[in-house]
Amino acid sequence: MKKIILIIFFLTFSHLKSDEVTKLHIEIYKNLRCLVCQGQSIADSNSEFAQTVKLVVKDKINEGKSKKEIYEFLISKYGEWIVYQPRFNRGNFLLWFLPYLILIFGAIIIYALIKKRKNNKAN
Amino acid sequence: MLSNTGITLVILTTLLSITVIYKSFVDLHIKNNLVNQKILNLVTFQTTFSILSFIVLIVAFVISDFSLVNVYENSHTKKPLFYKISGAWGSHEGSLLLWINILVIFSFLFLVFTKHNNKSYLLYTLIFQNFLILGFLIFLLINSNPFSKIYPIPIEGLGLNPILQDPALAIHPPLLYIGFVGSSIYFSAGIASLISNCRDKFFAKSIKPWVLISWSFQTLGITAGSIWAYYELGWGGFWFWDPVENASLMPWFVITALMHSVIVLEKRNSIYSWVIILCLLTFTISVTGTFLVRSGILNSVHTFANDPSRGLYILIFLSLMIFLALIVFFRYSKKEEYNFLLKSKETLILANNWFMFFFLTAVMIGTLYPIILEVLNNTKISVGPPFYSAVIFPFVIPFLIFMALGPKINWIKNKYKEFLSNFLILIAAIILNFLIYFLLGKYSIISNLIIISSIFLIIHSVKDLLTFFKNKTVSDISRIISHLGFGMLILFIGISHNFTTENDFNLKVGEKKKFSVYQINFNSIQMENEKNYKKIVGEFRLINLKSNFEEILYPEIRIYEQPETLTYEASIKTKLSSDIYLTMSNISRSDYYNIKFQKKPFMIWIWISAILIASGGFIRLIKIKTR
Repeated sequence: MKKIILIIFFLTFSHLKSDEVTKLHIEIYKNLRCLVCQGQSIADSNSEFAQTVKLVVKDKINEGKSKKEIYEFLISKYGEWIVYQPRFNRGNFLLWFLPYLILIFGAIIIYALIKKRKNNKAN
Repeated sequence: MLSNTGITLVILTTLLSITVIYKSFVDLHIKNNLVNQKILNLVTFQTTFSILSFIVLIVAFVISDFSLVNVYENSHTKKPLFYKISGAWGSHEGSLLLWINILVIFSFLFLVFTKHNNKSYLLYTLIFQNFLILGFLIFLLINSNPFSKIYPIPIEGLGLNPILQDPALAIHPPLLYIGFVGSSIYFSAGIASLISNCRDKFFAKSIKPWVLISWSFQTLGITAGSIWAYYELGWGGFWFWDPVENASLMPWFVITALMHSVIVLEKRNSIYSWVIILCLLTFTISVTGTFLVRSGILNSVHTFANDPSRGLYILIFLSLMIFLALIVFFRYSKKEEYNFLLKSKETLILANNWFMFFFLTAVMIGTLYPIILEVLNNTKISVGPPFYSAVIFPFVIPFLIFMALGPKINWIKNKYKEFLSNFLILIAAIILNFLIYFLLGKYSIISNLIIISSIFLIIHSVKDLLTFFKNKTVSDISRIISHLGFGMLILFIGISHNFTTENDFNLKVGEKKKFSVYQINFNSIQMENEKNYKKIVGEFRLINLKSNFEEILYPEIRIYEQPETLTYEASIKTKLSSDIYLTMSNISRSDYYNIKFQKKPFMIWIWISAILIASGGFIRLIKIKTR
């Protein structure tokens, strides 16, 4: 089993390089909101705004900027609204952790119900 | 003329609602085991009038009676007949009338099919259902009347939004509404059950068919919506975790939880209060979803009919509903004794509920958080697909494993043998996963795990299916089919997510583009006139350089006149093994066209899987009926 996991690790990380340019482009397009559209990403939109942003992203990738740098650049220009992946920060703390809190809460309830049964049995 | 008839019918329905409520209260005090025949008659009339009013609206659309504002705003004489009819529920007003019709029809059917049961339970259900009907009727009459008149009568209508002119979308609202609004009946029944003290097994039996109906239809409705998004919105995806899509998914999580919990209540007489909470929650969340969509609070590609004043009314109504439900719940609920074994069906069904609530909270927080943050903090953030992938996807893995093992927990007699067979299935799933991995390409660890666990569920379900056909002793064929469908759904989504080949480039007529193993030639462009739009059709030749396979594709840009809109029609070639998806859009002030190419493996299987999930519900329903 350990070997299999190692193989998975190895293959996933070694493969990323091939065909990276277009995949990276599309990944970034998909994570950007088209600000003039109603709920569409840059990848989906046919608007002029989307065309422009695509060009900007292409330029930035050619300049050798990383995904993160490109997002930061666009956020500084258009605000957080433009990226579909909300950042980890104080304002978004609840967004990222509330679902897990509910998960833990649910686990506690189920655990308590089962435990109660065990006690009943013991009595 | 039609306008007056329509309004009269709606008002008659309203008056009948009030009468039904009054008569039911009177009948409650009469000592008799059967519901008064008069009430049944009243409900029959109410249903007839309500259906008639909807037919009148459809007729107005079919004959293009533009003296009705609603027809004028949403139809056009040149529109094909099919879309004239579907235009009747394409607008907010029309869909509200459809909503009311479903409320009324469900109340009628519930009364007819639950005939010989506890009288006060039936009457209370009828009373609360009619309060709901009344609430929406008043909303319709004062704010969203589909029969409002316009003068002078326009000669031509404004037309329906062209991207709504699609077969999948025409059937999407009715399907989804049967799901959403159908849940009203067990909202009412839940409150009635508390008050009339008609609980447990009996209650579970009486609501089960309605839960199944609404669940199955809602599943189909969501599927139809996704199919529409895939064919019509032209980005090649079918689920964007868009707020409106989420609004349809949230009630689905609760209904799914309810559908499983109801079995526990029916078989073991346990978790009554929890089932009631789920009953109340399902309809509440359905109405909340409608509120969010209709009020225009959400920014979405799917918002077509919004107006803040509607939002306010729904919000007030919703608050009243929740308030009332809470009062009744706390006034009448009793303390229960719980009896759970770790390895029992009850516990595993609770595990299902546990995951459902996790998915529900994740989606709900993702949808509402940006709205709340904007109000509190004045920062606008977007919560999109990356958030949901990060939060939800990892938990799909244990969820699938539970789905495979859960239903069998009772049959475990030979522990060693059971363990061995599970282990073998797991090994088989891992081997199949690596076959996909090496044949199609590499993907991330989490995708590996999701695909392994979905194959694990599929093998388990297929094994159950075979046992079912061998000896018909296994009774839960419906469960097997739905679970099989779910396993397949996740598998094919996983595959299409990881192995879509896509590209995005700009071309002029006559140019060609090479990438990976493909070459695309932009051959020509043509203008054509259709009945209610003009179109620019591009001709593209797609060549697979490796296999020398060729395909001609014709994506379109459509220019609709009423209302003037540009839409982009993808050219889609569907095969069992994959879809080829090509869209073309014009770039202003240039001869270039933006081309998006996608090859998506096993797309059609995603729809097949989703339909399989829903069909499980229908099969169970037929079985209940024939028993």
